[in-house]
Amino acid sequence: MKTQAQPAVIAMLCGLAALLAQACAPSTTAKPASSLPPAPAADSARSGSAGEGQRGATKESPTGRSSLDDLKSGKAPVTSAVSPLKDVFFDFDRYDLSAEARSALRVNADWLKQNPAARVEIEGHCDERGTNEYNLALGAKRAQAAREYLVTLGVAAERLSTTSFGEEIPVCRDANESCWKQNRRARFVIAPSRPAS
Amino acid sequence: MRNLLFILVLALTALRAQGVAAAVVGEIVGQGGQKFPIAVSPLKIMSSVSSEVARLSTGIADAMVHDLELSGWFKVLDRSAYIEDAQKTGITLGTFDFKDWSTIGAEGLVKGGFSVQGEEITVELRLFDVYQNKERIGKRYSGRLRDYRRIAHKFVDEIIHQFTGIPGVFNTRIAYVSNSGGRFKEIFVSHLDGSEKFQVTNNHTINLSPSWSSDGRSILYSSFKDRNQALYLFELFSGKEVKFTPKGPARYLSGKLSPDGQTVVATLENAGNSNLYLLDRSGNVIRRLTDSPGIEVSPSWSPDGKQIVFVSDRSGSPQIYILEVASGKSRRLTYNGNYNTSPEWSPTGERIVYTGRVGSRFAIFSIPVEGGEPRKLTSESADSEDPTWSPDGRFIAFSSNRAGRYHLYVMQASGENQRRLTGSGGDDTKPSWSPRLD
Repeated sequence: MKTQAQPAVIAMLCGLAALLAQACAPSTTAKPASSLPPAPAADSARSGSAGEGQRGATKESPTGRSSLDDLKSGKAPVTSAVSPLKDVFFDFDRYDLSAEARSALRVNADWLKQNPAARVEIEGHCDERGTNEYNLALGAKRAQAAREYLVTLGVAAERLSTTSFGEEIPVCRDANESCWKQNRRARFVIAPSRPAS
Repeated sequence: MRNLLFILVLALTALRAQGVAAAVVGEIVGQGGQKFPIAVSPLKIMSSVSSEVARLSTGIADAMVHDLELSGWFKVLDRSAYIEDAQKTGITLGTFDFKDWSTIGAEGLVKGGFSVQGEEITVELRLFDVYQNKERIGKRYSGRLRDYRRIAHKFVDEIIHQFTGIPGVFNTRIAYVSNSGGRFKEIFVSHLDGSEKFQVTNNHTINLSPSWSSDGRSILYSSFKDRNQALYLFELFSGKEVKFTPKGPARYLSGKLSPDGQTVVATLENAGNSNLYLLDRSGNVIRRLTDSPGIEVSPSWSPDGKQIVFVSDRSGSPQIYILEVASGKSRRLTYNGNYNTSPEWSPTGERIVYTGRVGSRFAIFSIPVEGGEPRKLTSESADSEDPTWSPDGRFIAFSSNRAGRYHLYVMQASGENQRRLTGSGGDDTKPSWSPRLD
């Protein structure tokens, strides 16, 4: 069980992850052509380690774990109510920003200006309807729309990265609109402070 | 049965077996639910075996029954109606009584026997024409005892070859995504009957979009296992894996190997825009294929590798388009409905199958490659998605939640004979049908 996040340089973590990815390829037992090798062992070497891109939380904010981190540790990927960075929500199959979305983004922009060292990864998410691939692309559009608006509000673009999880890491799994609308979101995860690379 | 003899004569005289035999079969075992009545006898045990191995007498028969019924072309007569005792009669002409079978309504009959030496099984299987009192196919197979189902699949593929001029597709595998009831999505491979299940990934994250190489030896899939979504090309028999990582903060969302195995078409997402790129087998970009500010995803190759069908929202909603690889020109294929995705090009080249939204649900459609009227294949009373063609283009596997969770189903390309394949206790999605194997 992961406890305190270790402060670390992201670049080194990613490099380590890449090395581990090559080293931890599934086992290659020689077998006759008609049989399949055993299933690869769980990547225990990586699951709790730096390779997962653990994020250090800055002291100012409880946000610090990405939705992927939440998924791996069994937590719901819900943004805490006390997080200074608010989720932004979207209509079905849309990535344009509503008035409410822009208002939440202004709150986020203010916080980012008051915390000039902070860097944020913006995650795009979708509800479960439609295909996984299209939703990965749509989530990316949502994250990018949020990023661009923050930039127009004066946040330096280099502080903002984007990613998309499509429909893969929802906050709820019911098949109804009250759940779906919670999933159509951009989520803001604070990354450890470091100089722009 | 006069019509059966007619088909076999056509096959023997080597007319264009595909076109002609298939047209004739259409009268007997084709659409409209008219199925060929066939009996599959338990196998005769021909060596001394343990009681556990003795169960293969019905186990091998059951595997063949499963495939025959899945095809939709056969009505397999219930074993409880069989008159003869398979252990007391022979398996060759003259050693059993055809009347035992014609009286229960069988027009075809599968009989056989097996013997086991150590871990090796030898199986002899024969297809008989009950009315003509003739043997149509006789085969002997040897293999590992635990591969007995593969022998059953191969013989059914022979039976189908006999009836239609085109071998069956039951000695194949399905790759698919399953959450096994939990929150992670891993990739699995199994036979159509769910047997010989093999887990390709075990990284406790999200793994998606498996697809096969044309030689059936590799699977390409996307995964979040290294935090940023990337493509992985996994060789099934060696366990070797190559990772495709784009330069910079971009991500690969999915990819498909070309029919000749030399290139990959991949969806690359960068700064919110998703476009199609052509890569080599090591993941290096050869060139960019689409250049729109919108979403271009879900590519699938034509069987000749010259065109790619894909999804684009350039018109304002997700629709299906076809791109000519050499010229870069694309044309729109779907004009019905406001959300069409997941296209797959049939191996025979004439139709595209895809998922389209109908009201609030998703259904599977097929449409001619030239465009035109789509044909709806599934009911929109539930969601049916992620269609994939069998290697002969006569069947479509897909994922549907009509029974609660998502399970895998198979149907004929016409939409008939929809049958469930899996019931894993989780959600099984994104099936990809392998090519014909060994």
